[in-house]
Amino acid sequence: MSGETVLELRGITKRYPGIVADDHVDFDLERGEVHALLGENGAGKSTLMNILYGLTKPDEGEILVAGNRVSFTSAKDAIASGIGMVHQHFMLIPVMTVAENIVLGVEPVRDGVLLDEKGADERVRELSQQFGLAVEPTALVSNITVGQQQRVEILKALYRGAEILILDEPTAVLTPQEAGELFAIVESLKADGKSIIFISHKLNEVLEIADRITVLRRGKRIDTVPRQGATEQGLAEMMVGRQVLLRVDKAPATPGEVALAVSDLQVRDDRDLDKVRGVSFDVRSGEIVAIAGVDGNGQTELIEAITGLRPAHGGTIAVGGKPVDGRLTARRMLDAGVGHIPEDRQRRGLVLEFNLAENLALRDYDTPPDSSHGWLFPKRLVERAKRLIREFDVRGGGPLTLARALSGGNQQKVVVAREVSRNPVVLIAAQPTRGLDVGAIEYVHRRLVAERDAGHAILLVSLELDEVLSLADRILVIYEGQIVGEHGAGVGEDEIGLEMLGGRRQAA
Amino acid sequence: MSNHAQMWTGGRSALRPRTVAIAGSILGLLAFWCAIPPFTVRSPFVPIFIGVLAIAAGLWAVTRGTRRAGWGAIASGVIGIGLGLLATRSSSANLQVVFASDLIAQVFVFATPLTFGALGGMVSERSGVVNVGLEGMMLMGAFWGVFGADKGGNWTVGILAALLAGGFFALLHAVWSIHLRANQIVSGMAINFLALGVTGYAFEQVYGNENIPAGVSTVPNVAIPGIDHMKYLGPAIGDLNLLIWVGIAFVPLSYVILFKTPIGLRVRACGEHPRAADTVGINVYAVRYAAVITSGMLAALGGAFLSIGYGGGSFTENMTEGRGFIALAAMIFGNWRPFGAWGAALLFGFSTALAFRLPVYSGSAATLFQALPYVLTLIAVAGVIGRSTPPAADGQPYVKQ
Amino acid sequence: MSAPELENAPADSDEEVPAGFAASIGVAQRAGGLVVPVLTAVLAFLAGGIVVAVTGHNPWTAYKGIFDGAGFNWLFHIPWDTNTIHLSAFNLSQTLLITTTLILTGLAVAFPFRCGLFNIGGQGQYLVGLVVANWVGVSLAGWPTLPHVLLGIVAAAFAGAAWAGIAGFLKATTGAHEVITTIMLNWIAIWGAQYLFGQGGPLQNTQNPAAPESGTITGSAHIPVFWGSSVLQGLDYGFFIALAALVVFHFVLNRTTLGYEVRAVGFNADAAAYSGINVRNKYIQAMAIAGAFAGLAGALDMLGYLFQFGVLDVQASQIGFLGIAVALLGRNTAPGVGIAAFLFAGLLYGTTRGLNPNVFDPGLAGNLTSMIQGLIVLFVGADIFILYLWNARRKLRVQKRAEAEAAA
Repeated sequence: MSGETVLELRGITKRYPGIVADDHVDFDLERGEVHALLGENGAGKSTLMNILYGLTKPDEGEILVAGNRVSFTSAKDAIASGIGMVHQHFMLIPVMTVAENIVLGVEPVRDGVLLDEKGADERVRELSQQFGLAVEPTALVSNITVGQQQRVEILKALYRGAEILILDEPTAVLTPQEAGELFAIVESLKADGKSIIFISHKLNEVLEIADRITVLRRGKRIDTVPRQGATEQGLAEMMVGRQVLLRVDKAPATPGEVALAVSDLQVRDDRDLDKVRGVSFDVRSGEIVAIAGVDGNGQTELIEAITGLRPAHGGTIAVGGKPVDGRLTARRMLDAGVGHIPEDRQRRGLVLEFNLAENLALRDYDTPPDSSHGWLFPKRLVERAKRLIREFDVRGGGPLTLARALSGGNQQKVVVAREVSRNPVVLIAAQPTRGLDVGAIEYVHRRLVAERDAGHAILLVSLELDEVLSLADRILVIYEGQIVGEHGAGVGEDEIGLEMLGGRRQAA
Repeated sequence: MSNHAQMWTGGRSALRPRTVAIAGSILGLLAFWCAIPPFTVRSPFVPIFIGVLAIAAGLWAVTRGTRRAGWGAIASGVIGIGLGLLATRSSSANLQVVFASDLIAQVFVFATPLTFGALGGMVSERSGVVNVGLEGMMLMGAFWGVFGADKGGNWTVGILAALLAGGFFALLHAVWSIHLRANQIVSGMAINFLALGVTGYAFEQVYGNENIPAGVSTVPNVAIPGIDHMKYLGPAIGDLNLLIWVGIAFVPLSYVILFKTPIGLRVRACGEHPRAADTVGINVYAVRYAAVITSGMLAALGGAFLSIGYGGGSFTENMTEGRGFIALAAMIFGNWRPFGAWGAALLFGFSTALAFRLPVYSGSAATLFQALPYVLTLIAVAGVIGRSTPPAADGQPYVKQ
Repeated sequence: MSAPELENAPADSDEEVPAGFAASIGVAQRAGGLVVPVLTAVLAFLAGGIVVAVTGHNPWTAYKGIFDGAGFNWLFHIPWDTNTIHLSAFNLSQTLLITTTLILTGLAVAFPFRCGLFNIGGQGQYLVGLVVANWVGVSLAGWPTLPHVLLGIVAAAFAGAAWAGIAGFLKATTGAHEVITTIMLNWIAIWGAQYLFGQGGPLQNTQNPAAPESGTITGSAHIPVFWGSSVLQGLDYGFFIALAALVVFHFVLNRTTLGYEVRAVGFNADAAAYSGINVRNKYIQAMAIAGAFAGLAGALDMLGYLFQFGVLDVQASQIGFLGIAVALLGRNTAPGVGIAAFLFAGLLYGTTRGLNPNVFDPGLAGNLTSMIQGLIVLFVGADIFILYLWNARRKLRVQKRAEAEAAA
């Protein structure tokens, strides 16, 4: 780090109706440094970066690039000032090639009007060699891996001459190994004189890669500290404002009968590719079994098969000791005793336009006492809702409030309430804490452990290793559709991480 | 390079499965065509033989992974054999009446409004805006085209008026869909109802209960010297309306613009992933506005053809009779690609042209044959030959943060 | 038509979840109550009035002419004189006849809307019902009235249900968009009906082979009239069947498990699937029910007052399409559809047979109806957005209050 300041944000403030997303935030960046921006969901990191990248205008404050005041009206301006952004959700077009994605908006032209496809391919090749980011320009984005897609995103920024790179939660879907490769890329970019803003909510990563760390909480900058001397605990306290339990306290499990037995399950996805290739395991009552793996290795399809949303091509599933025969539909798995907290509560867990009473009845509406011979009794729905809202401490409304009006945490509580109160034989929790703040996460974790202690069987699928390690009694690692490892509660993160990538170091 | 890269990363040889499949489809067409004038082969073995070749080509392509085009070739072959056999059994005289060479001209006539409409719909949907209002925009073009030609004295004024009318209604749809983020299908249907009312009202108001006066300037035909005297090609393509040729020219033109220029890349980006386009500095709103207005103008040209092109300077209420919707179906059938949409338009045009001639076989059933294009569309849209994939963000309003 | 799900793109609670199609209409339903539809209609009429004025006619007299033509003036002459010899009573009875049809074609659009489907096929489904009712009415002479009429109605409803069911089936199995399929089925039905009733067609009347018209149904298949004279086209009991249909619609949607499932699918098909609801079956069922409504409309028309139908009538009929505007204006609810149907029926009758040609030219008036129809549909599309904004602000206030409570 040369100490030269390439970027400075002073007093940035942004208000939305009802909340202050950013509250007089200061931030600066030196050449060749990696400055991490740490904070929970909703802390204001994304808003700050959207302002920096020209996607939003600040209500107050100023931006200085290399000492000059700048004002951005669009991403184009930010790009012109040398700022590039690699978004958390990639901004890539799947049906177009790598080269097309990279040159979009600044396309090379030949003969005045036509797109210079060959020229684009070549320039991309040159650039990728220059920065050591191996990609094939003519490949379709839908056909390359997530790690490669990320490299395309980085190349997009470099192609436009970015000197300052914003990486927004870049390791959200990478394994520890792929994250390591990313860090190597970051180091080489640093060596090239690029300056990097690294947004994350993962404490361990930030401590590994950053030179300086700024913590945001509820829109305010709490502090900026150098990496020397910073600890996970300390950072977490700054992020949350109080002491945080990073691990859930739980007693050892006492597993009982087998509640769910999956045997040699084979599932194909929408493109007819084998996604689950012969998976066998069981879950006993009174234990939490977690399936760990990088997104895309078959967990989604596995869960869909167990919950009856996708047909299995082979293998059997037995719930509560009884095999489920014939065509497995969502209806039959529900009846067999499978409960499901889906990974996307707004899309699959709730009908946002229904009120809470209707949502809480989503599984049982067609059985007595909610209905009889097809005739529905709304009063009974409301009664049940009142009871569950009280029991699960759902805030934000009553039985007739639309689900849409609740906060994310409370919405998830509704889903949890519905699933848990049915006393399923086995409860499947898929990404149960995605998008929730720390308080809500704590609640969900405590609830799951409580259910386990009450003797239920829980199958947890999560992309957050922390969550897996914290909650699980047994951990199964899934890789490319097969279970490649089984561990007890005390396993180390590295060992699992390695298995998540097939147990071998893969060159990118 | 884009989409082909997925199917065949091998060399550039002419034996690419997709090429073979297309050749198969053409062979299937040939199996039928050889049995009708001008060839009028009478032996059933010829269509069978050619059809089998088509099926073989299709099968080969399917096994190489090119499913959609491959199954198209197989279907083409089967249908070609079937129709070819039917033709060999029909009396030669009837065949002459039905398949007189001006049938080809008729096919182009019926296909042209569909072509304009389908290209228009394609442009709009490629940018991400669903446009079911093509029917209304086409109707506007039909009325205001003849109105402009009548009051302005020249068909060029008519064309201009049509473009303005179609473009204006498209602007309405664009504002509703893009800025107000209304449901695009509702907005499109509203355009259709409005157009019906506006054109009917204006027609009644200006021309009363009579028709458009005779002698209105119409778009001229293009007589191709030399060809127009040939026995077969003459009636077929020797004297087609200018707008027909314009429509045909727009097909490769739109292909080049959409797939070979930066503008086209940006349009398609807006239709696939508008947020991504926005983050690289493309003005998604502007692109979509331009695309929708263009689609309205294209549809209006199709309507103008109905009134002052082929129509000879006439107008009736609801003149378009659902053509805008068939154009939409052609677009879907053609997988949102120019040549595919044009092929579908030709097919639908062929079925309509045939429907007018089949009365030589059976009088009252002529009415029933009129339903043929709609039945074909139904089959097409049901994805009997492969599933169609629209642009990923089609129909979703974009919200700029 | 949904966005591509790149492998690493989870939907945050921060990100805006694309609301289901019916959900967006649902937002409109729960807020605004009566005010917004009324405002929408008023705006549309205002715009229509401007068009009339700009083209050199007096909008006030035009609308008054339509108003009187619809028989709405009858409502204001208390005590009510029910003798339909008098024009205003007669006009109102005719308007109510059309209201019967529009209620049903409106329900035919409203019901699938609640399931997230856009049924534009009401016209074709209506025609199918009409054809079947005609066939039943012409054949089977000598049956007693009640079973004859009942058979006609039931057969027509089934036929309409089957016709619409094709589109539902295609959507369920191949994903074909119902807008295109229902429109295609419309045209197939239109041409089919023309063939059946036309010269040489199997259902053409046998008295006059030159006339491309259907046969006339026998007297035993007429639905009895209760207001007006049966000779001069009075209002028949079919009106009450339509009202009953409104009640059935409401109860099915809100008090049955089927209705619950339909609404769930309409708001969020994914969540519905996760709850074990068979979404594909719902599509088929919703479309079938819609077709039954529309087919019923055709039957009530044929057996209630039309008694026969010609090729030209087939070409001119737009009553199925009007149902779309009725449903949208009525916000897809039972009371809404009822009122909107009455309004549009008045508009339709008041601009055609009810209109005094000296007051306003019927040719212009008919097209004015189309324009108003288009404007209403257009404004409905926009006011959803306005409502959404209003709703969003209101909900934010609610949420803030909730969070304040939670923190306390």
